[in-house]
Amino acid sequence: MSRLELRAIRKTYGKAERETLKGIDIDINSGEFLILVGPSGCGKSTLMNAIAGLEDISQGAIVIDGTDVTTLEPRDRDIAMVFQSYALYPTMTVRENIAFGLRIRRQPKEEIDQEVQRVAKLLQIEPLLDRKPSQLSGGQQQRVAMGRALARRPKIYLFDEPLSNLDAKLRVEMRTEIKRLHRRLRTTIVYVTHDQIEAMTLADRIAVMKDGELQQLGTPKEVYETPANLFVASFIGSPAMNFIPVTVQKGDRGLHAMVKSDSGETIDLPLPLALSAYENKEIILGVRPEHITQIQAHKEGQPLVARGRLTIEVTEPTGPDVIALVNINGIPVHCRIDPDHPVDPGDVAELMFDMSKTSYFDPATEQRITL
Amino acid sequence: MTEMVRKPFSFNRVLIYTVLLTAAAVYLVPLVVMLLTSFKTLGDISSGNLMALPTHWTMHAWHKAWSTACTGVSCEGVHHFFWNSFKMAIPAVLISTGIGAFNGYVFSKWRFRGSDLIFSMMLFGCFIPFQVILLPMAATLGKMGLANTTAGLVVVHVTYGVAFTTLFFRNYYVGVPDALVKAARLDGAGFFTIFFRIMLPMSVPIFMVCIIWQFTQIWNDFLFGVVFASGDSQPITVGLNNLVNTGTGVKEYNVNMAAALIAALPTLVVYVLAGKYFIRGLTAGSVKG
Ligand SMILES: Nc1ncnc2c1ncn2[C@@H]1O[C@H](COP(=O)(O)OP(=O)(O)OP(=O)(O)O)[C@@H](O)[C@H]1O
Ligand SMILES: [Mg+2]
Repeated sequence: MSRLELRAIRKTYGKAERETLKGIDIDINSGEFLILVGPSGCGKSTLMNAIAGLEDISQGAIVIDGTDVTTLEPRDRDIAMVFQSYALYPTMTVRENIAFGLRIRRQPKEEIDQEVQRVAKLLQIEPLLDRKPSQLSGGQQQRVAMGRALARRPKIYLFDEPLSNLDAKLRVEMRTEIKRLHRRLRTTIVYVTHDQIEAMTLADRIAVMKDGELQQLGTPKEVYETPANLFVASFIGSPAMNFIPVTVQKGDRGLHAMVKSDSGETIDLPLPLALSAYENKEIILGVRPEHITQIQAHKEGQPLVARGRLTIEVTEPTGPDVIALVNINGIPVHCRIDPDHPVDPGDVAELMFDMSKTSYFDPATEQRITL
Repeated sequence: MTEMVRKPFSFNRVLIYTVLLTAAAVYLVPLVVMLLTSFKTLGDISSGNLMALPTHWTMHAWHKAWSTACTGVSCEGVHHFFWNSFKMAIPAVLISTGIGAFNGYVFSKWRFRGSDLIFSMMLFGCFIPFQVILLPMAATLGKMGLANTTAGLVVVHVTYGVAFTTLFFRNYYVGVPDALVKAARLDGAGFFTIFFRIMLPMSVPIFMVCIIWQFTQIWNDFLFGVVFASGDSQPITVGLNNLVNTGTGVKEYNVNMAAALIAALPTLVVYVLAGKYFIRGLTAGSVKG
């Protein structure tokens, strides 16, 4: 249970000409589960290594429970890390792998044995204790790697894409298990992932990074529903948010925007009054696929709801939904349709636009327009 | 199906085996001739043909080569030289391999400013011909007070061998994931703990490569032995040379062959015992982790 503060962290690697971290500021509460996401090469691992003390930072400070640990060695920070490659010591048995950190810290033998037993029980790896890592499956190795991190009861856990080498089913299982573990132990966790669902399901808060800069820090709901800028909006969510550039116009029933379907029909999309500052200016609508659907009777007549006839170009059934591709203003747009309302490619379907959850972006700054 | 898998006779197969067997025979003939000759009497040698079996098997030549043949002024066989070679080779192999492992660890896992440059300069050592360092090394050994001693030879071979062992270990350790070192550091292990507890235990194959390589190099070296050692510190290669070149009158081929075999025996034994690691260590660069 420890609070972790990252203060204006900057990092430039020795020979690199570009800065890898450009001033990262995050306060992680005690017991919080923070997920770090961002495209490959944006500096997630670098930040993790910096927190662990495996890489020096160029500027800024790392504070754990009010103590500045920026210049401390990794071993003195009391942090454990699980690596993507697991990094199990190949010549040691599972037992020795888990006990290694405790032995180095010269804990009494009985305590070490007890701790190994506790961890093995927690992760259900008791039958594997005397095997070598090479005799384990990927999932088992992953558990052992977690066990090694859990054994010391450190202040903070760092997970750098711990599940990305597992197959889909195992990944879901381990995800649930990690969530359960966090519930039980309530230790502060910083967790890197590429997996959208992992991010949304595990996180207390999500930090979205790009090119070494923090783009947004918020709860999964905040990041999903009110993305701070175009990058976050496009990065979070699958299929991605649709972006439709439009011009805000004033009509007799308030603000609206006109878009054209592929057949040239005009669709009139209502906009909230709060956008009046953008009258006659261009903005970008960010509409999630689930807000363009088949006609839903209960939404009929609500203020920010519109209808339009569009040609279905492609359908992708996912099981719970059908993702349909249509064309608006010449831009491909994904919609999410109930499989009970069958649509086929080539059909002209009447679709409903729920604009109440739409995000609006300024095309010049690419930032969210807050209403 | 089985007919397709098992081809009892195919022209290619026969060709391959013929070529391989011929090559093996060509390489084995000298060894066979040496072995046969070493068990013959002198009379047998002068009358018979090279490949013929001895008419009368005898260990006489081996005895003589080991303990009574003349090597220059003394006539005590090559056994002193043989033990000298061990006294030189074992410490030299162990020390150079140990230093190489340590260097390789630093150059791969604890890079520092300029470490790549230093490594390149060490590699340069692999390409320096023996002859070039003879004079400076002689002067250095003289200053160290190690001229003409086994310890001096050990110093020479360690200095020369470290370039190779460092290269071997460094390339092996580059294949070991950095995450292992990171994990160990987080577990609280320091520089030496990581070296001794994590890296060394997974280095068996490359140790074998280094030991075989170094042992063969050092054991077979003649130039350093003849230049930097004298009298009672000379290695077996020098002893063999002296034995073959001493002796007046009739050439005792059987004794020469026996002495040559004695000189070659230890490297053969090392290959037989550790050869499989040599192949494995050279091919398997990385460690499954
Ligand atoms: N040791 C290093 N020396 C120089 N540059 C480095 C080093 N390690 C990483 N970088 C650079 O820093 C940037 C960030 O790398 P980092 O590994 O932190 O990315 P990441 O967000 O973890 O990516 P991924 O999702 O692929 O794991 C990259 O451009 C990378 O090339
Ligand atoms: Mg990474």
